[in-house]
Amino acid sequence: MGEHAVVIQIEVNGIEHRVHASTSDTLLDLLRGKLGLKGVKRGCSAGQCGSCTVILDGKAVNACLVPAVRANGKHVTTVEGLEGVDGPHPLQEEFERNGTVQCGFCTSGMLMSAKALLDSNPNPDRNKIKEALSGNLCRCTGYKKIIDAVEAASKSELPPARAPMTRN
Amino acid sequence: MKQTFNVVGRSHPRHEVGDKVRGKAVYTDDLEFPNMAYGAILRSPYPRARVVEIDASEARVLPGVLGVLLPKDVPQKPYNCSGNPPSPLAIQDERVLTDHPLHVGDRIAAVAATSTELCQKALSLISVDYEPLPPVLDLDEAISETSPVLHPEIGPTNIFNKIEADQGDVEKGFAASDLVLEDLFETPGIFHVCMETVCCICDFTRKNDLVVWSNSQTPFQERRILSKIVGLPESRVRIVKPIMGGGFGARQQLHNQVVGALLSRLVKRPIKILNTREEEMVGTCVRHASKCRVKMGVSKEGRIQAFQAEVHHNCGPYATHSPIVLAAQSRKVPYRVPHYRYEGYCVYTDYPVAGAMRGYGNPQLSFAREVLLDRAARKLNMDPIQFRMENRIFPGDTVPGSPLVLQSCAIKECIEAGEEIRNRIDRQEEANPQKNSADIVERWGMALAMHTSGASNNTGMSSAVIIIHDDGSATLLTGSADMGQGSETALTQIVAEVLGVELVDVRVTAADTLHTPYETGSFASSQAYVAGHAVHAAAMDVIERTRTSLAARYEVETDHVVFENHRFSINSTEKPISLTFKKAISKTHFGETGTVVTGRSSFKASHSAPPFAACWAKVAFDRLTNSIEVRHVIEVVDVGTAINPDIVTGQIEGGISMGLGYALMEDLEVDSRVSKPLTNDLLAYKIPSTVDMPEIHTHIVSSFEPSGPLGAKSVGEMTVIPVAPAIVNAVVAATGEDISQLPLSKYFNIKRPL
Repeated sequence: MGEHAVVIQIEVNGIEHRVHASTSDTLLDLLRGKLGLKGVKRGCSAGQCGSCTVILDGKAVNACLVPAVRANGKHVTTVEGLEGVDGPHPLQEEFERNGTVQCGFCTSGMLMSAKALLDSNPNPDRNKIKEALSGNLCRCTGYKKIIDAVEAASKSELPPARAPMTRN
Repeated sequence: MKQTFNVVGRSHPRHEVGDKVRGKAVYTDDLEFPNMAYGAILRSPYPRARVVEIDASEARVLPGVLGVLLPKDVPQKPYNCSGNPPSPLAIQDERVLTDHPLHVGDRIAAVAATSTELCQKALSLISVDYEPLPPVLDLDEAISETSPVLHPEIGPTNIFNKIEADQGDVEKGFAASDLVLEDLFETPGIFHVCMETVCCICDFTRKNDLVVWSNSQTPFQERRILSKIVGLPESRVRIVKPIMGGGFGARQQLHNQVVGALLSRLVKRPIKILNTREEEMVGTCVRHASKCRVKMGVSKEGRIQAFQAEVHHNCGPYATHSPIVLAAQSRKVPYRVPHYRYEGYCVYTDYPVAGAMRGYGNPQLSFAREVLLDRAARKLNMDPIQFRMENRIFPGDTVPGSPLVLQSCAIKECIEAGEEIRNRIDRQEEANPQKNSADIVERWGMALAMHTSGASNNTGMSSAVIIIHDDGSATLLTGSADMGQGSETALTQIVAEVLGVELVDVRVTAADTLHTPYETGSFASSQAYVAGHAVHAAAMDVIERTRTSLAARYEVETDHVVFENHRFSINSTEKPISLTFKKAISKTHFGETGTVVTGRSSFKASHSAPPFAACWAKVAFDRLTNSIEVRHVIEVVDVGTAINPDIVTGQIEGGISMGLGYALMEDLEVDSRVSKPLTNDLLAYKIPSTVDMPEIHTHIVSSFEPSGPLGAKSVGEMTVIPVAPAIVNAVVAATGEDISQLPLSKYFNIKRPL
């Protein structure tokens, strides 16, 4: 099965794109390479570290495991799309406080897993937060301040989750 | 001695955090340059082999391949990759590319191509005829007389270095002891697992200029080593460290930068090399696996009389840091020990290459020491915490095995604060008892650790320049490499504190060998103390020069310009003058006596003040399932003045998680049949995730280090060290079984906390 070129239509952070890609490209290749969204981090290319987590039609996924063609017709939110016109997302505000972020390489993925959680469950308890972030590895922090930040964000007024993309 | 501060001692968010939560922070792999191409490295599949023949002809003609490097194409003079200042202990035994690979992952050949996919394809087209040789993986095997010698050019056996430290006479000490205990403790190799893998971009497209962007903890050492290999003066090599995704020691050495530079020179394009996660795990460096034989003599009153350690380190096939790791390991005992002896041996094997990792030898020996201490306390029917309290080191004491005299030590305060936290936890849990089955036994364990602020042989050096702008704001230039721990922010806090300006008025340019002044590097927990000193001195220089400028401006003697409580005052003028720093600059920068103020400093360490940590773990042992669960970890530290308490607690929490992994689950495994690492991805090699973490509790005691900048000591590495022995001591208390090996998954099922 050889690889061949395809055209992928995808909405990323509210902007519609038509992108030429290869069937061997992953969503991570497409976002980082073709669309220049460098906030999406490559940590393992095997779905084991969570650094490349993005939200694909409402679900947190490892972009390195999703073939780019599977994202055709879907919409994606990356860390670059987290800040709204009204300012930063409450998660970003909480992550900026209290030393939550150290090296920051896992941060984009953490934020996206946390956002997917809060979009579906605005009042998670600590165990739910831990579960939702269990696929996002961090070697710097010991996770405590991250879990604290997600918990604090859940107590503030959350912006509505984006409606699924409607196609005409 | 305690001072009050305005900016220091407060938890300011790190300056780059806004970028990090928006995906705007630029890490090495996020950089792209015009005409940039990619490089990749062909790595040995065998732990020991001889390359009989390499044929790269097919790879060379693959469209998109720009060039291939084989061992014969690169300088073959051996070098040492470790980011340490020049030292005879940095044994030179490693080659850029080798036809005698000595570990799985050793560098054989390299390609440059227009895409990473083509690089991988090209690597698969290079045909290598290997003659596999019997590997030497085990420490005991490597030191046996029948073992093949891996580096006959270095020495006649695989023991390539021995480090000793002596104080008193241990034999006398043991003779005077009522109880002598001895055991062999074994610790595994483990990985750093920085979330960002090793990455570099090398631009050698101009004949006499090499620029390297890389995630480096020690840009100035790497510049020196790299310049020698590629044959350029140091002045023509520039290393730039972008934002960095973790270090933990793994980046205190050259990795792919040499290959990248040579590929770039060959193909005349900037070359980016990004390690895959597998390369990261087989082809970078690991913590030394060790065998520590320790012996301790104690009087019946519970006083340590003698301590002796004989340690063998599995160094893998290249020396890198090893002898320096051992020397550092010998100086980290936080107890009064009248008779002390340390003997450490560096052993070559075909195991993955060992290098620098958070703690630098201290975690291995502290594990052995602290577990043996608990055994001694039990035999004497003493409380292990009281036993430690009574044997602890004091200010004025000399650290065993070293000439270092302590100036501050708050072990007592750490123990007292931790005990308070522990009692609170127990009271809370007694008030709301969990429904533990009768088969579950809960116990606490405890351990102490002492580390260093800067290299413990006092080789730490740093320097700083502070540029004062016409509005009185400042730019700090420092060679210090922030690897994610937040040192840049802490250093700007020192500047703001001294000048009496807001933190927002101080910006920083760091870790670029062309634009920032020399620093030995970010290792040995140097940043708060060594870089902190340099930055503090440069800020004081700014004050002195501002006084001179004010004296010229107001036509008074410099002596009449006094800087106190963050204000300059001049009382000899007609009307007394009192100016803030920014106001002073507004008076002196422009006009007839206009001066531009810059401060500068050079700091050479003459001390390396040890910080201290006390750690407790509460473990539940389930007899029915032979499982253990770590429920709480408490760690309390004495770091002198905590420049930024959130950064300090962040280090403690991260250290606890890394120590938990070391205690419970992390183990670099090499399959004995095929002699290959089994743990070459993050599925096979588990680090703690959110659901593995116990409740963690941290505290920073009030302390002041007289030799430190504004009273500060360092924190980073130390926090990991007492965690594994505290957990093991709790498990021993709960199970009654003696334990002498890590990780605990060798003995027990590991249960995740509820």
